[in-house]
Amino acid sequence: MTLKKWAFFIFSLVQIIWLAGCSEKSFNPIERERDFIASLNIQEPSLDFIDEQGNVFTTWSFEKAYSGALLLGDDRVLLYGHQLDKIDVYTLSTGKKLYSKKVKIGTTNVYYAKNVNQFFITNSKMNTVTSFDKEGNELASTQLGNYPMSMASYKDQLYVINYKDTKLTVLAIEDLSVKQEWPIEKSSHGIAIVEETNELWIGGHGEGSKPNSSVKRYDLMTGAVQGVIEMPLMPVGLTKTEDNVLVVSHGHNELYVTDFDGNVKWQQEVGANPFVVNQFNDYIVVAGYDDHTLYFIKEGQVQKTVDVGKGAFQLLVREGKL
Amino acid sequence: MKKISTRIWLLIFAFLIITVVFMYVLTDFLYEQLYVEDTESTMIEVGTKLQTMYTSGKVTDEFIAAIEHYNDYSNLNIFAVRNPRELSACVPFDIDYETLIGAEERQQLLAGEYVQKIGYEPRFDRQLISVVLPLVDQNRLEGIIYIYFPLAKISELASQEVILLFVSAFFFLIVISFFVYKGLRHIMRPLNELQTAVEQMSYGNYETRVPVNSSDEIGKLSSTFNDMAEAIQREDEVQKSFLATVSHELRTPISYVKGYSEAMQDGIISDTQKEETIQLIVREANRMERLTNELLQLARMENEQKEIILYPIPLTETLREVQQILMHQAQKKDITLQLTADDSLIVKADEVKLKQIFINIIENAINYSHEQSKVEITAIENNEFAHITIKDYGIGIPQADLSHVTERFYRVNKARSRADGGSGLGLSIVEQLLKQLLGKIEIESEVEKGTNVKITIPLMEE
Repeated sequence: MTLKKWAFFIFSLVQIIWLAGCSEKSFNPIERERDFIASLNIQEPSLDFIDEQGNVFTTWSFEKAYSGALLLGDDRVLLYGHQLDKIDVYTLSTGKKLYSKKVKIGTTNVYYAKNVNQFFITNSKMNTVTSFDKEGNELASTQLGNYPMSMASYKDQLYVINYKDTKLTVLAIEDLSVKQEWPIEKSSHGIAIVEETNELWIGGHGEGSKPNSSVKRYDLMTGAVQGVIEMPLMPVGLTKTEDNVLVVSHGHNELYVTDFDGNVKWQQEVGANPFVVNQFNDYIVVAGYDDHTLYFIKEGQVQKTVDVGKGAFQLLVREGKL
Repeated sequence: MKKISTRIWLLIFAFLIITVVFMYVLTDFLYEQLYVEDTESTMIEVGTKLQTMYTSGKVTDEFIAAIEHYNDYSNLNIFAVRNPRELSACVPFDIDYETLIGAEERQQLLAGEYVQKIGYEPRFDRQLISVVLPLVDQNRLEGIIYIYFPLAKISELASQEVILLFVSAFFFLIVISFFVYKGLRHIMRPLNELQTAVEQMSYGNYETRVPVNSSDEIGKLSSTFNDMAEAIQREDEVQKSFLATVSHELRTPISYVKGYSEAMQDGIISDTQKEETIQLIVREANRMERLTNELLQLARMENEQKEIILYPIPLTETLREVQQILMHQAQKKDITLQLTADDSLIVKADEVKLKQIFINIIENAINYSHEQSKVEITAIENNEFAHITIKDYGIGIPQADLSHVTERFYRVNKARSRADGGSGLGLSIVEQLLKQLLGKIEIESEVEKGTNVKITIPLMEE
């Protein structure tokens, strides 16, 4: 081959590789009918999809430093990162990116309110919360306290904890207008709405060198303190299920299961540094951040453990589709 | 920065500083290597033993108390920590709190490895060496044993010494610099003296000399300088006396000419004496002319750098021609010029210069001979040279003057000088000419008996 032909050949090869690299990366699709619990691992960002038998049936590995994920409805997953200036929305059934949305750096959390089909982004640099429709169109935005992060909604209200502040802000979902501000402790994190008792429960790390070891109960409408439930160190993972409130304390690696009145039904030491707990079918699933393991608990016993990627930090559950 | 001694001094000073700094850094480095390493290994050893006190489960108050108890008796600072916040357990969250260990260290500890740190710890607000050992149970970092030793303590230990070190290094530098400065001054003194002497020389003080105290390079330079100064001084004196002589020699005939011509102008001199006076003026003018001619000739010879072309000349014929030229002069004093020469002698010379040599010598011989005597001229061959001897029976030259007769304006009889009409340059010219012809002159004389001048000129090679 002459030199010219060689040059052309190499040039074409480089072109092909470049084009291939440029094209949108797609992941293994997740069948629409399949139930799963997905673990978002943030040390080496990935999303592990696990079925009810405790098998990791697929893993999405990311190159971007995602720090959080959530399901938008049944077939979409939204990924965000505190240091990223874009959120990415993927379709689970195709494994392909649906859209990206440019946002300000500093996204601390994204919350999806199913009843209004909107998601909300809190930003720690701007100290704002912004609402979007399911297609990523911005709807409204409001200035909040310092470092807004934990969010929950009930009916037409959005509750936002200002993590480095001493207040919780209650907003109207419709236009994000501030309706109330409740005094809370600094470094509060973890939120659960117990509509049965008309309460809102808040966990937290505690401020400075004094770690927190309780969950506070507030009146859902007025913000009046209803009570304090003593917990092990640093209860930050709160999840309300049909008849329980699940609380994980990452400081003492403990799972507490309480009824809606705050009575501890049972407790168990589980995982290493767990931040999050969720219910998946009949299992309570706790994710150990330090040991990269998911614990499937049933009837107060660890039934199985699943190894996941490094830094399991969030659990996304899709079930009941069958 | 002008002086070379200052530069050398600065150079040595700089080297001294570099050496001191280097030594300090090296000492510091070795100290850190040895002391810190030793402390660290002790800490690891102690920590590993204490680690065995923990078996599993939560870190108990008893464990913490036990560690505290140990701390009371240890010279290391040891404590146990179980607050998860201190252990960076909240790392995924933005914590506005300075934890004891960082996220990466936590990972290392979770893996069961200990962590070594050296440097500033904000928690203790000082420089530390620390070792952190994990208390791990089923992948859970239940706590840590934190052992530290303030680096400052180590430097506190040495701080007195450091100050002493700095002060002594400082004084050492000053003392050494002083001695180096003094030493350099001592070494450089002869050079300074030389420099001053050269300066003096340039101002024309040729009598300047420098003391020679050593036999090293500077000593040799000094002694060479002295030689040079001597030579320059001698040459200067010669030059000065030459100029003085020349002006003196010229002034005498000029004053004669001036005096007589003024006298004639004023009519002081009678008509009968006029002829005689004019003859006198002419004679003095001739003397001046001859003097200036000869001076010119000498000056020209001294400036003549280029090689003179020598060619074969029949010696006897040249001598005969000279004899003819001077015949008249000799006859005036009734002196016989007797020539005995080998006709076959061919010398390598320049004819004009050769003639001039003979004329000057034979003229001298005639001038200083008594009347009715004779001048004998002989030429023989000897060892590829022609030896020409001019012998007279005249007044002769005193031994003391013999060596000076070839000097310019040197006269044996100073008083008689102008009466005999000599300029005092004749033999100087002869010597210069012979030098050009690669010949030699030798004069032997005895007072009132006569003089014998021997000239050697190379023969033509066959």
